[in-house]
Amino acid sequence: MSPRTRELGFLIPAALVGVLGTASVASAQSRTLGSGAFTILGVVVGLFVLMHIALRLRTPFADPYLLPIVATITALGMVTLYRINPVLAREQVLWLGVATAVFILVLACLPDHHLFEQYRYLCGLAAVGLLMVTMIFGTNISGAKLWIRLPGGQSLQPSELTKILLVLFLAGYLRDKRELLAVPTRRIAGIALPPVAVLGPVVLLVGACLGVLGLLNDFGTPLLYFGVFIAMLYIASGRGSYVVASLTFLTVGAVAIWAVIPHVQTRVDAWLHPFADAQGQGYQIVQSLYALANAGLIGPGWGQGFLIGPNGNYVVPVLDTDFIFTAYAAELGFIGAMALLCLFIVLVARGLTIAAQAPDGYSKLLAAGLATTLGIQGFVIIGGIVRVIPLTGVTLPFMSYGGSSVVTNFAIIAMLLIISHRSRVPFRPRVPRAVRAEAQRQMESMGGVTSE
Amino acid sequence: MNRSIRRLFWVLSGGFVLLACTLGYWQVIHASAIDNRPGNPQTIQRTLLVARGAILASDGSKLAVSVASNQQGQRVYQRTYPNGTFAPQTIGYANTVQGMTGLEDSQNGYLTGDYGAQSLLGSLGLRARRGANVTTTLDVAAQEIANRDLAGKQGAVIALDPRTGAVLVMASSPGFDLSQVDTNFRHIIAQPGGPLLNRTVQGRYPPGSTFKVVTATAALESGLFTPMSMFDDTGSVLASGQLLHNFNNEQFGPNNLTQALTFSINTTFAKVGLALGAQRLGQTMNAFGFGRAPSVDLPAGTVFVSGRVSGNTILSNTQSGEDVARIAIGQEQLLVTPLQMALVSGGIANHGLIMNPYLVQKITDSSGSVVFTHHTSVYSRATSPQIAAEVNTMMRDVVKEGTGTAAALSGLDVAGKTGTAQTSTNGLYDAWFIGFAPAQAPTVAVAVIVENSPLTGGVVSAPIAHDVMQSILAGGR
Repeated sequence: MSPRTRELGFLIPAALVGVLGTASVASAQSRTLGSGAFTILGVVVGLFVLMHIALRLRTPFADPYLLPIVATITALGMVTLYRINPVLAREQVLWLGVATAVFILVLACLPDHHLFEQYRYLCGLAAVGLLMVTMIFGTNISGAKLWIRLPGGQSLQPSELTKILLVLFLAGYLRDKRELLAVPTRRIAGIALPPVAVLGPVVLLVGACLGVLGLLNDFGTPLLYFGVFIAMLYIASGRGSYVVASLTFLTVGAVAIWAVIPHVQTRVDAWLHPFADAQGQGYQIVQSLYALANAGLIGPGWGQGFLIGPNGNYVVPVLDTDFIFTAYAAELGFIGAMALLCLFIVLVARGLTIAAQAPDGYSKLLAAGLATTLGIQGFVIIGGIVRVIPLTGVTLPFMSYGGSSVVTNFAIIAMLLIISHRSRVPFRPRVPRAVRAEAQRQMESMGGVTSE
Repeated sequence: MNRSIRRLFWVLSGGFVLLACTLGYWQVIHASAIDNRPGNPQTIQRTLLVARGAILASDGSKLAVSVASNQQGQRVYQRTYPNGTFAPQTIGYANTVQGMTGLEDSQNGYLTGDYGAQSLLGSLGLRARRGANVTTTLDVAAQEIANRDLAGKQGAVIALDPRTGAVLVMASSPGFDLSQVDTNFRHIIAQPGGPLLNRTVQGRYPPGSTFKVVTATAALESGLFTPMSMFDDTGSVLASGQLLHNFNNEQFGPNNLTQALTFSINTTFAKVGLALGAQRLGQTMNAFGFGRAPSVDLPAGTVFVSGRVSGNTILSNTQSGEDVARIAIGQEQLLVTPLQMALVSGGIANHGLIMNPYLVQKITDSSGSVVFTHHTSVYSRATSPQIAAEVNTMMRDVVKEGTGTAAALSGLDVAGKTGTAQTSTNGLYDAWFIGFAPAQAPTVAVAVIVENSPLTGGVVSAPIAHDVMQSILAGGR
């Protein structure tokens, strides 16, 4: 069975999740299964079929599991969004359409991801530049100045695109300096450190990104960037001591930020003692915990939890973006949430498998960086919700409402599939017949000895 | 590089396992602790999702029902009280802000369908629970009469079927409207007189002369006296160093025990008390159920104990060294609930046997099959059938020619006893009447109290008892 046929087979259960979920919400909400729900469903299925066709044409040998996993998570996300806010669900379908277009565009216009290797510094500077632009023209939404308002009333979140640019820069740069990084030149307190001249530029760029984001009052995205940076540094160097050094730096930095910025202190207090200020700073997390606990092991089922108050407001604030995981787990319970966590870890596993199968260091670093980005982003927001780490506002990939997020994440999947295809396509050298005949003649003249 | 990638995968997997474990802690292990946090809107909402069973009067008329409505596409249930002023303290309310009281509280398990063996689907929460319907023993017509007669007064009326213990009337005034608890609770609790208090089981009053029924029973049990034992009333008796007088300082001269009960002669019962002593009188009190309280199907702890008290402590009924003469006439650190006095009355009526009082007759599930039926049981053996018959006869004279004539019903005999207990305010009394009818074969026993009345029990409370007993007997009981 060809990888694409396999992929098509696995897309069917993903579509079934969407159909059953929509029917479940409709019956629980005693909504009529009108054209609205089926239009959304039909369009989403159609978009994934389009992506599948694009893959057939451009990357027939790419990993067959990646798209079905993404489709399943998207189905769960769309049903959850449709359940809490049908209007937003319809809007999200439009964003999914844009994401599909970008997905196909990347497949069509990017024959070889190595193209970015030579533009690595450009990518890095573009990342910083984009964040600078956000700082200057950005709009403040729910505490952080992360969005740029477009004339049409929509807003753009450049920090989502920045994460791809940053991975592209890091992959290129670390591939280039890999050999130098592997040899530490000095030790501080027994921890081996790489040469300053090698690590200088990357620390400068990553530091600039984190600094700008700190000024924008966003702490989830820097955490994501820093995590990806550590992961890629480790893959490039293979040295655990660098990870230890980076984590030490992260801890010191985090404590310093906590000590200086009051906004961060209240966040940390809300993390450690949410019930102490359940009506104030802890409100989001407390309401979210109430909703999660109410679901229990199995949950009441889609559409049957208490997520929308009598006045039509969300019971948990920002339920459609930061807390989409709560909206999902509050109705499908612990078992449903486990299924979602499994989907995410399998997604990361496929991404890292692509990295492991890739033939060259740049592809490995790029694939691993992209896959890690999705994994850490999921960890940061879900970890914030279940109180493993302080709550920071990042989107849950493929689930949260939001255009920038969904478009960027589908671009990441497209790039992973390109890398996968290029490492799995069978080697069939095209040699002109005359050259082949000449080689044959030479080998025969050497006495029939043939090499492999 | 692949080794590093593999390790990275294990680190990320470890992170997600950590998420799964923490989530399991919140959603499963620690979930009930979070559910029970005060003000948790999820828990409040969940109670609205259950089709709570109805509470019905004995004739099946609805006292509390749940009505379905649609809230944001979800079916929720609103508790409504079609006759919210009928017996508000007894029916009670189930409110997520104010909590639960009365039968709504004590029968909550049945009303929410949380009873018996749950099916697997039910215990997993996959099958919607439906509440069972609770049919009470309350008599609609008689309860309405009691409410009408108590209107504007502070007091209580309780009526039982002495043969079974079924509570036919449980009325406490001032009342309130159950349908206003959700919206106007602040206003209800601001009303004077404590409308939330169920005076029939929570009001504690000096029993006054109604207690002479207990003293008379003890006197006959002792063998020292008969209904014909003669006494001479000179207007006062010296007891515990102080003179004890009759009501209004009356002087009756020679009288027997029956006449002493009929006209409520304090001096005679004081002498009886002194002759019996604390031990014998206390034993009879114990036999009548003083010193403990039946549940009456109400929430645990909401039915107060009657007996001799010191401050908030209930003393032993047989404690020696007490002022027995004053206890014998229902004074001196003796506090009783109207329920206890109805049990005294019911015990004499039912040949000396007090039946366990109850409010819940039967419970039927949503499909109509009976899941609970009350089985009558004995609460206490108060006295022998012979002595009960003698006291019964003595009590008939009270209504025939004594202080309780206002309770008389035409065409049949009524037995009773009045009481007019002094309060802390001079000239205001706690006015009592206890009794039963028909005296030959009693089917209803009552206790009525009106607080802070300028008039006696025979004038204020006996007519109320008359109306309630008449209504119950007219209803065919």
